[in-house]
Amino acid sequence: MRALGNVDRRILYVVLILAVLYPLIRPLGLPFRVSDWTLNFYKAVDKMQAGETMLMSIDYSVSGGPDVHPQAQAVFKHALSKKVKVVFVAFVTEGVEFANQMIAVAEKDGGKYGEDFANLGFVPGVEVAISAFAQDILKVYPKDVRGNVTADLPIMKGIKTAGDFKLITEYATGIPGPAEWIRQVQTRYKVPIACGVVTVMGPQNEPYYQSGQIVGLLSGLRSAAEYEIAMKMPGAATAAMDAQSMGHVAIVLFVVLGNIAYLSEKGKKGGR
Amino acid sequence: MTTNIGTWIGAICTLAMFSFLVKENKVFRTFQHLYVGVAAGYGIVFQWNSIKNVAWDPLTKKGDMLWIVPIILGLLLFTRFIRGYQWISRWPLAFLMGLGAGLSMKAIESDFVRQVQASLVSLTTLDNIIVVVGTVTALAYFYFTLKPSKTLSGASMIGRYVLMMTFGAAFGNAVMGRISLLIGQMQFLFGDWILLIKK
Repeated sequence: MRALGNVDRRILYVVLILAVLYPLIRPLGLPFRVSDWTLNFYKAVDKMQAGETMLMSIDYSVSGGPDVHPQAQAVFKHALSKKVKVVFVAFVTEGVEFANQMIAVAEKDGGKYGEDFANLGFVPGVEVAISAFAQDILKVYPKDVRGNVTADLPIMKGIKTAGDFKLITEYATGIPGPAEWIRQVQTRYKVPIACGVVTVMGPQNEPYYQSGQIVGLLSGLRSAAEYEIAMKMPGAATAAMDAQSMGHVAIVLFVVLGNIAYLSEKGKKGGR
Repeated sequence: MTTNIGTWIGAICTLAMFSFLVKENKVFRTFQHLYVGVAAGYGIVFQWNSIKNVAWDPLTKKGDMLWIVPIILGLLLFTRFIRGYQWISRWPLAFLMGLGAGLSMKAIESDFVRQVQASLVSLTTLDNIIVVVGTVTALAYFYFTLKPSKTLSGASMIGRYVLMMTFGAAFGNAVMGRISLLIGQMQFLFGDWILLIKK
């Protein structure tokens, strides 16, 4: 039991990596259900009409990308399948490149930049920038990432303020996040907002969902997988769910074995 | 294995960062510095582009003179690096603080009024009862004005358990998030680089 309590942490890393890797190579097909948070996000996008415009604010960093990027990819795919136009913005520098990656894939599939989607790029200032953007989009973004004059893009016809979007979706790994968007945009323009966040931020943003301030909430990779299932288009996130489950099993096992070792040692020392 | 040079660079960087799991080493430190440098350079390029598009071009090409004010305020921030003139940087900072405080006033509606409204629910379902009891008892835990009575102490104790459950849920989510990040890198290494994972 003492050996179990003093196991080298590197062995734990190897076990965890193998637990995650095996189901990625040989999927197990473990079932999971779609939560209400995800379903309502899906419904908010699904009820949009062809030709309407949605905003996607890509505010996640590279470090949290694997947790949030699959959410944005799934929502963008869904929007394109509904012929909904998508405008990308970013208040975190890395967001620009994530948006460019998604646009590159969509262009390969025949989408037209400037008509079906556009990337307006990054603006510094976090909450102040969001507030300014909401009031006058063309002033904050005079040009897009490709150097086009924003006002000349066909997709921007009739879009002057944040209130002109039918739906705003925000993806975040920190600040800015749902709180900033709700404060500066939702309270003033009453436009529906749906948010996708890194798993750690899920519980702290749930009150906004419960109060109806956001119409949907995606929390981490699991929500991305749920969204893919809701779309009936399983992708990379769905494939990762077996690995997620096996990773959790490994961690629970570590916790249980660690506690057994601890309690056994404590018993030998007379409960002290 | 892929022949894409970008994927190879990414894979080498990932393995160098993972080498920290074995032990702290020079390769890890080198790539850590590289990462910090690249991130800083990337940030500066985007920040500069934004200043150029939003303020500098309208000022110099369209003659929109109002942009002089924020540009000067921004430049004044750098006076903190000039000995004897550091005090000047307090002016733009004071402006930024005032602006931030003003904008956060909207939180009164979004984070206070709307949240209180959302907590005023009919006690007809178990979910609603949990919301109300959880909110009231958690607040009771942080109530220090009165001398604790039996009722207040009881509510405070329940509040403590509510808080502990919240921390547990937050920790569970933190673990789930870290596993997701590991999965992302495994998909990159064994999917995009070694091509072992089928897409």
